[in-house]
Amino acid sequence: MNSKVLGKVRQFFFPPLTTGFFIRIFLIAITAYLFFSYICLPLQIKGNSMEPTYRSRGVNFCWRLRYLFSKPKRHDVVVVRFAGTKVMLLKRVVGLEGERVEFRDGKLFVNGSPLEEPYVRHPCNWNLSPRKVDNDCVYVVGDNRSMPIENHYFGQASMERIMGGPLW
Amino acid sequence: MVKMKVLVIALLIVGVGLLAAFLFFPSEEKKVKKRFALLSEQISKEPTENPFVMANKIKGITALFGENCNFTVSDYSLSGNYTRQEISGIALRGRAHFSNLGLKCYDLKVSFPEKDFAHVNLTARLTGKSVYGEQVDETRELLCLLKKIEKKWLFSSFEVIEVLKR
Repeated sequence: MNSKVLGKVRQFFFPPLTTGFFIRIFLIAITAYLFFSYICLPLQIKGNSMEPTYRSRGVNFCWRLRYLFSKPKRHDVVVVRFAGTKVMLLKRVVGLEGERVEFRDGKLFVNGSPLEEPYVRHPCNWNLSPRKVDNDCVYVVGDNRSMPIENHYFGQASMERIMGGPLW
Repeated sequence: MVKMKVLVIALLIVGVGLLAAFLFFPSEEKKVKKRFALLSEQISKEPTENPFVMANKIKGITALFGENCNFTVSDYSLSGNYTRQEISGIALRGRAHFSNLGLKCYDLKVSFPEKDFAHVNLTARLTGKSVYGEQVDETRELLCLLKKIEKKWLFSSFEVIEVLKR
């Protein structure tokens, strides 16, 4: 009995190097490459603009199929293509196309009404005059608004640049 | 047997010829990409750089640009049309601000909308350390236009793509 189990364990960790084995390895490698290059992109978070929701040095994946049949909704966290195919921004959607967005004493207003943002945990004192979100765009901001407004990179992004959403 | 030998030698000669053509007669796309590699090389700076090397690099940077080059940079006050001499001054002042500087260009997409014009979309990453000890690590998407003048591809326009419009 023991030798049977040992034999199976050995076969699992040291399978016979047959043609079938190499074909399976090749197919797994190709599938993994395509999956992680085009469908589920690995991300490493750098920067603290989305704290405390997403911390710097955290790891996540960009699920490219999130907006295949729908558009980003308000409060969704999205991955925005920043440069090339490797540099992305992780931000939260606060305004949709056609809406007017503004900041008054740290509070976000959309179409003149204050927006409830339970994910913003740090104090904020931003002031930004109202601006309209263009067609086919969304307005994105990070969750960490404790830094001066000049140091936070936010604004409206074209839908073409929305790559997907974080997996968790 | 002799015919086989002749065939193998002929194939080898053709192979070597193709390799030589590939190495010594690069495509226009390769020539354009090489300009960015040269730009990266000339912009880079080591802490031990001496004035002679610095002068050579400034000369090298200037030689990559056409008589006039248009810069469109929304974040900073650098937007405008600059002559080669002005670019030389900007490069000198810019590099003097850093003790250590590196520029990496990647994800280059080259297209040729017209004869002797090249359109390049790329990602540029600038890393370094200022003379005050401040670390710099900036990545941007750029749109560049190059013109072929006297068989050389020269930069004629740089635009920093604004991804998030406040």
